[in-house]
Amino acid sequence: MTRLHWIWCPAVFLVLAGCSRNADPVPVTERDAARSRTNELIVAIQSDAKTLDPHLATDAASMRVIENLYDTLLTYGSAYGTLEPGLARSWTLSDDGLTYTFQLRTNACFHHTGRPVLADDVVYSLDRMRSSGARSSVFAPVSSVTAPTPHTVIVTLTTPLASLLAHLAHPMSAVVDREQVGAGGLKRADGGSGPYALIEWKAQQYARLKAADTAPASLRPRVPFLTYRPLPDETARTTALRTGEVDLLLDVAGKDVQSLQQVPGIVVESQPGTFWEYIGLNCTRPPFDDIRVRQAVAWAVDRDLINQLVKFGRATVLDGGPIPPNHWAYAPFTMYPARNLERARALLAEAGLADGVDVELLVSSDFPYQVKAAEVIKQLLKDINLRVTVRAMESGVFFHALGQKDFTMTLVGWLGFVDPDEWLGLLFRSGALWNQQGYGNPEVDQLIEQGRSVTDRAKRQDIYRRAQEIVALEAPMVFLYVNERTSAHLADVKGFVNHPTVTTLSLRETWLDR
Amino acid sequence: MVDSFRHAGQPLCPHPSAVAGLVVLSLLGLLALFAPVIAPYDPFALSGNAMLAPPGPDHWLGADQLGRDLLSRLLYGARISFHVAVLSVGFALGIGTLAGGIAGYVGGWIDQVVSRCVDVLFSIPDILLALAIMAALGPTLNHLVLAIGIVYTPIFARIARGAVLDLRHADYIEAARSIGSSPAAILYRHVLPGILGPLVVQTTLSFAFAILTEAALSFLGLGVEPDQPSWGILLNQGKDLMERAWWIAVFPGLAITLTVFCFNLVGDGLRDALDPRVRAEKRA
Amino acid sequence: MIFYIARRLLLAIPVLFGISLVAFALVRLVPGDTATVMLGMQYTEARGEQIRAEMGLDQPVPVQYAIWLSRALSGDLGQSGFTGQPVTRALRERLPVTLQLASSAVLFALVMALPLGMMAAVNRGRWPDHLAMTVGVAGLSVPNFWLGILLILLFARTLGWAPSGGFIHLFEDPVGNLRTMILPAFALGLAVAAVLIRTMRASMLDVLGQEYLRMARAKGCGPLRLYGVHAFRNALVPVLTVLGIQVGYLLGGSVVIESVFGLPGIGLLALEAIRNRDYVLLQGVIVFVGTAFLLINLTVDLLYAWVNPQIRYG
Repeated sequence: MTRLHWIWCPAVFLVLAGCSRNADPVPVTERDAARSRTNELIVAIQSDAKTLDPHLATDAASMRVIENLYDTLLTYGSAYGTLEPGLARSWTLSDDGLTYTFQLRTNACFHHTGRPVLADDVVYSLDRMRSSGARSSVFAPVSSVTAPTPHTVIVTLTTPLASLLAHLAHPMSAVVDREQVGAGGLKRADGGSGPYALIEWKAQQYARLKAADTAPASLRPRVPFLTYRPLPDETARTTALRTGEVDLLLDVAGKDVQSLQQVPGIVVESQPGTFWEYIGLNCTRPPFDDIRVRQAVAWAVDRDLINQLVKFGRATVLDGGPIPPNHWAYAPFTMYPARNLERARALLAEAGLADGVDVELLVSSDFPYQVKAAEVIKQLLKDINLRVTVRAMESGVFFHALGQKDFTMTLVGWLGFVDPDEWLGLLFRSGALWNQQGYGNPEVDQLIEQGRSVTDRAKRQDIYRRAQEIVALEAPMVFLYVNERTSAHLADVKGFVNHPTVTTLSLRETWLDR
Repeated sequence: MVDSFRHAGQPLCPHPSAVAGLVVLSLLGLLALFAPVIAPYDPFALSGNAMLAPPGPDHWLGADQLGRDLLSRLLYGARISFHVAVLSVGFALGIGTLAGGIAGYVGGWIDQVVSRCVDVLFSIPDILLALAIMAALGPTLNHLVLAIGIVYTPIFARIARGAVLDLRHADYIEAARSIGSSPAAILYRHVLPGILGPLVVQTTLSFAFAILTEAALSFLGLGVEPDQPSWGILLNQGKDLMERAWWIAVFPGLAITLTVFCFNLVGDGLRDALDPRVRAEKRA
Repeated sequence: MIFYIARRLLLAIPVLFGISLVAFALVRLVPGDTATVMLGMQYTEARGEQIRAEMGLDQPVPVQYAIWLSRALSGDLGQSGFTGQPVTRALRERLPVTLQLASSAVLFALVMALPLGMMAAVNRGRWPDHLAMTVGVAGLSVPNFWLGILLILLFARTLGWAPSGGFIHLFEDPVGNLRTMILPAFALGLAVAAVLIRTMRASMLDVLGQEYLRMARAKGCGPLRLYGVHAFRNALVPVLTVLGIQVGYLLGGSVVIESVFGLPGIGLLALEAIRNRDYVLLQGVIVFVGTAFLLINLTVDLLYAWVNPQIRYG
């Protein structure tokens, strides 16, 4: 039996829009004259984008700008966890679960060159991601990508990969224009075919996009101009929204939620998100190579207090596994119901550390809320004689240190997207790229492998529950909380979806009621 | 010139503002010294109940986001500020005076080398140089002392060299030389007292700049360790909470301003007393 | 005089060389490099080496320095390791912001300091003098970043008169641009104003004590003409000299102020370079700022020598 996975085809696909070259750029003055507050949506982002190359971007700000410039084979649906067609209008999976066949829509064109997006481009892009991209590891089981016809792409796997579609829908799994890659790279240019095209990116000032002329009419965004403004200062961001200088804030800090809610003309939307934070314990280094010391930390931490002090009580405490309650793979068990100093002290004493030990807690100075959480943890662990020194580094150096496992203890977060494999497989499998804790447990490895190859959701749920129980018990990470996802916008911004994963794909359907 | 320092005690008296500055500074110094005794709370103690508590009977200056008593943190912060100021200016004074004094006294290629090094360090703005050094060394208290010390070394070197050059050919030193005093003895007995005046003035003013620089670097996250209650770090933490808790951003700033203001008053008074020729000169 | 100028220019050469050496050495001491920061958690030896090879970071340090210096001499400061942008272009893009910030600060300082300083000197020992001198000391004592925060709190948050950060280009929206510049210019300029008040007062006192002014007064010259024209003009020279010295403060202070207000100038560029461990860019910024500072000081000195021919050319 061939498992047919035909997805409904919107009427769009019947319209075969031709591609027109978008060659002569409109002069700057003319473009600016066309812009006004009635046709421009201004989004405040926390920092400037670092790169516009989707395959290299790892920071949130870059992703926000990039995701509307590019198309992906599939996209996230507005309901959390669902997937919708993107460049691929349909796909099938072979019986053995090893071959995916994608049919592309025929009306997509690259902004810069005006070329139609063909199967070759998808092959090129997937190869580029697999060989050198920031997320190459998730595509490791892919053995080949081929293009038998101009609108058919075949992805062959070495082992079944249940999460492949979710990985392909990740906003950075973008299909890029290879001519643009050759002509100067993608770091500062637009090689996409998405709903918006780049007009200009001015470092630290703005990235300005316009509705792409090349997009088919039905997929063209409703707001003609989209501008991202980096405003690193939290206060400056909320002020800019209040004064109407910007239309939309993507990440509102817990402390500002209440005060923004009281402002007339501003809409604040909150829901549980997917960004969770944890204490990472290096299992390859003393003292945390001893499971009892790790468990002592897990018992000694007061998650509710940290949530209250650092997150203004707006996060959801994780006392079991890392997958949050809004996800289908959530496992409703509790491992560390409340702070328990006796247990923590007893575990330390068993490990021969009754007199305590000095440890260094590494954080990134670019995330002040994590520095604050580190200060709280330092005080909490003092009670069991773990003497913590907090050390902060700029995020670039910090993540490098993590990657090299050059730390004892860290506090950091992880943005889970859609598939549970992105929460567990990337973090806890032995030798996995993001497993900085150096954690390894054959049973967990096996469960993760199973979770990848089994496609039945109920079975995956069981598998991931078991995996989360083991991981929570052995505590390579001490899970703290999952953050609320809050955005705020002016009341006349309509149709924006506050997605748990922070994606802003819904901007293409957003409109201004002005 | 030699006499000017001896009169230091007298001319300071007609400067009531300088005396006031000195009194306040002594008070601040005592508060910093005895912070562990005076502070009403452990500056690191968390409290869920006191989170963002406004100034009141329990917390005179309010509490921060983690419920820590702001007054206690400010008192401990004063220790950091004074520690950094004294050690870094001490470093700059020692190294700078030595290098400048030797360069001025010996002359020749040594003088050339020292002078060019001083010129180079002078050509990079203070904060930028200190930032680059901190980025190179990493943010800790000792590195901060070193970075600020390096930044303020050239000014002392230049003052010492200039003063020594002026004095070298002064009659009484020629006389001392002619009766066979050793160079070390001449430096110690005759040259040192002569350059003491300008150095004392510069030292006082440098304390002010060192405190400002420490705060600025800590504010930018390239100063002391992030969990230390340095005034700059307190300010940085306060800036995002301004609307809900003005006190966290206001009191540390007042503390910095008051301390620096007093150092400036004392420095100005000393300058008028010791070195009347110098008026408002390089202040950067 | 010509000998003096030539000597000063010659002396500047080893200093420039020294600046480049300091910049290069310091930046090499910074832990972590562009390759590690670019790759972050995806760092592997092989890929790190590949990036280092592309950027020439695999060469011995003296060789790197020689290559960099020879290119720098021809005006090429290399390419930012992080964005791939030429450093000179990044500097050119950012320079107008810092220039505008610094010149606004100077303008504000002059507008505030000249009348206050003059008033203080004319009313020596009375309350306007005390007021001016208090401002003169207080302005030097307030940390500029704290002042910036307070200004944002008052004018942007509470009163809503000015934006609390960000930058709008002058040619794009002149009014918006001025609104974004007022608060930072004030925060940065106050310390300069303080120094200038003191200088203006001192030099005005000097001038007022001089013979020709007493003559003018004796001849029945009105106070407006006396103070406003004769004395003021002559008191200005030391003020301008001191202003030249303040350039260093302005360049350094702009790092902090640009960070507080989110202005994309040279100062913020330096902080970004530090954050991204962008060797080439940080080097470029230090060398550029150092050179600019050196040249400005040289110009001020030469102007001063030209105005005051009797000074000793040490």
